[in-house]
Amino acid sequence: MTSAMDQKSTQNKDAEKVIEKELSFGPVHPALIEPYRIRLFVNDEIVEDCEININMAYRGIEKLFDGLPVEKALLIAERVCGICSHVHAWNAVRVIEGGLGIHVPERADYIRVLTHEFQRITSHLIFFGHAFEVVGHETFAMRSFLLRESFMDLLQYLGGNRVMPSVPIIGGIRPRADLTEALKKVILERCDQFEVKYADYVRRAVEDPVVMSRLEGIGFMTKDEAIKWHATGPTGRASGWDYDLRKTMKEYKPFDFNVIVLPEGDTKARVVARALEVLECLKIIRQAVKNLPEGPVANRDWTAKEMKYTEAYDETYRGELMHSYSLDQQGLVRNYKIRTPTITNLAAMEQACIGDHVTEAILTIASCDPCLTCCTRAELVDNQTKRSRFMTEYEIVNKYGWRR
Amino acid sequence: MSDLNTTLVFTAGLIASSIIAIVVGMAYSLILPGIERKVQARIQQRIGPPILTPGWWSVLKFMYKSKTEPIAQMPRFYKSLVYFGIAIVAFLFLFTTPYWWSVLGWGSILGIAGLLKLEEVLYVFMGSQSQSILSATMPVPDLAKGSKWVGIRREFIEQHSADRTLKMMAIGSIPMYLALIVPFVAARSVTLSNVVLVQNAGYHSAPWYGIPLPSSPILFTLPGALAAIVYFLGFIMIMNEKPFSILKAKIDVIEGGVLEYAANLRAGYYIMRNLLMFALSSIFVTLFLGIPFDPFTPSMMLLNMLLSLILPVAMSALVAFSPILTFRQIYPTTIGLSALGVLAMILSVSL
Repeated sequence: MTSAMDQKSTQNKDAEKVIEKELSFGPVHPALIEPYRIRLFVNDEIVEDCEININMAYRGIEKLFDGLPVEKALLIAERVCGICSHVHAWNAVRVIEGGLGIHVPERADYIRVLTHEFQRITSHLIFFGHAFEVVGHETFAMRSFLLRESFMDLLQYLGGNRVMPSVPIIGGIRPRADLTEALKKVILERCDQFEVKYADYVRRAVEDPVVMSRLEGIGFMTKDEAIKWHATGPTGRASGWDYDLRKTMKEYKPFDFNVIVLPEGDTKARVVARALEVLECLKIIRQAVKNLPEGPVANRDWTAKEMKYTEAYDETYRGELMHSYSLDQQGLVRNYKIRTPTITNLAAMEQACIGDHVTEAILTIASCDPCLTCCTRAELVDNQTKRSRFMTEYEIVNKYGWRR
Repeated sequence: MSDLNTTLVFTAGLIASSIIAIVVGMAYSLILPGIERKVQARIQQRIGPPILTPGWWSVLKFMYKSKTEPIAQMPRFYKSLVYFGIAIVAFLFLFTTPYWWSVLGWGSILGIAGLLKLEEVLYVFMGSQSQSILSATMPVPDLAKGSKWVGIRREFIEQHSADRTLKMMAIGSIPMYLALIVPFVAARSVTLSNVVLVQNAGYHSAPWYGIPLPSSPILFTLPGALAAIVYFLGFIMIMNEKPFSILKAKIDVIEGGVLEYAANLRAGYYIMRNLLMFALSSIFVTLFLGIPFDPFTPSMMLLNMLLSLILPVAMSALVAFSPILTFRQIYPTTIGLSALGVLAMILSVSL
């Protein structure tokens, strides 16, 4: 039972803002596709402040890497996320390739980029599906998943699996993922068919005044705010921040594409930015298939040896991704750290939804495309009691020592 | 003696008519959600569920599920609200059947509007009572030491839904009532009997096997058509369906006040909801086309049931293509619809 003190509105001394009530959603909630907690501090329907609490689903994935041979670690890296599996696998190998100076054949780079863009399209289409589900427009959500099937199929043709295609290996790609002439033809045909259907889908969504009335004018974030709150990826670019790591990556040098930057900074801009990015992905895919160089697809001439702590950055579908680790004298992985884009976008999500209605705030958070389980770490399961619990920092230091 | 006989015959007719109306109406209303879902599915290029599944089988299934006690401030009151709801909707439907037209003036705009308002109030009670575990009482240690806000009143999502219901009651349902008034203004009467008479002069004198079709339905006049549009959107608002389903927006308040209804109570809620959908559709056919649901004139009853599909099917198509509107859009929409309703009412004076 709430106390009499709790019943009245409470004034925060710092912000000097009167808040009428708190509404909290999750971690178990039908609208949240992942377990997280949203606390909205509202006056009537207007959100005055927001807190997003993650850390509901620890998997301990960074700890799993520790002490593994680097080739095995790569398999785990791909399982960090089911939507952006390729980019985790790719960035994991980019760390060691950068750290030990392993040469990657140009053909392999092209196919890695190709897979990357396939998954960017599938990721953005999942985003549309989720965003339109949150808007309440089931038909657009369903059509988005229908369109996505084309590229899920292509991922399967390329890597042998729809969700975990396992294309990159250290020094190149798996030979089974090499492009045949027949597959090249299929990819180009699928891209043409997809583009027609997709353009129609986007046109219908953007020209629907009722749907656009839900997206326009909410979730504002200026360019300065986007930089201040570390919004990366399409979330930052939809606020006018021209920042795309692909423009600095050597793998993307041969490709001609535009970085979609929109100045509006609202929820609609974040949706439209992703919609336009899909067309740029198609441009890159076509270039990769048409200009695919001949040659080997993997360089086996390397051995795992001691490597200093090395970082690699990639522009994943939601923003900037960092993988970093070191190798000990036996070539085993140490100190694996992953920073997914959602962890940097979290503060932006909390800020962007201030001033929205409650229903819109959830949409604004969804428009930043959160992927929260990927950015949550470490769980300890006691084998004897079969219970999981969190360790204190003191216990971690006592058990594992300081990580250097 | 003859007065007593007349009263007894009338009472027997009233009871028989009511039983037939409720049994047929309820059985038919449970088919409507299946049709609704099928239309939506076809629009979305899906097969959709079998017609009887969302209505009939889900109600039967929930009837036989093990009962769970709802988490509510006053659980017995919360549980009783479903039964109140079914009773209110059943009477709303019965009042539009011819035998009830002469009972204490209930077959009039006052009876319909009064019961509809009562039905809306139920959602406020449901919302203020239900306290599901899905929001404020979820056992999550999120009151962290470093939290910016502490000591704020934590509200259940159902209570927030009740707040929204109040807003919808205050403004969202106005178009519906304005549209309801139009046929009565056109007929210069507050009784349903006269509204039907104006449109279907032969109905009252037709034998039980006759098919007295309306000669001048209000729907085919300008004010009638305008009022029908307003009625249709008002119908969706009263049904709490998309785009006006802010009371039960899945993305925040989930199901709103009915969240804690499970097993037999959920079945009861489905019956209430589906019967309301059929009752409002049947009222539309009676008021705007002059074809009442008359249990003792089979042709009229069947025609009424058939034409009652118009609104649910149109609603399904709209639901498939609509997002959920927030109050930013609902307020201007309601104001616009109310203006249209007032215009229809003014024009109907000249009919």
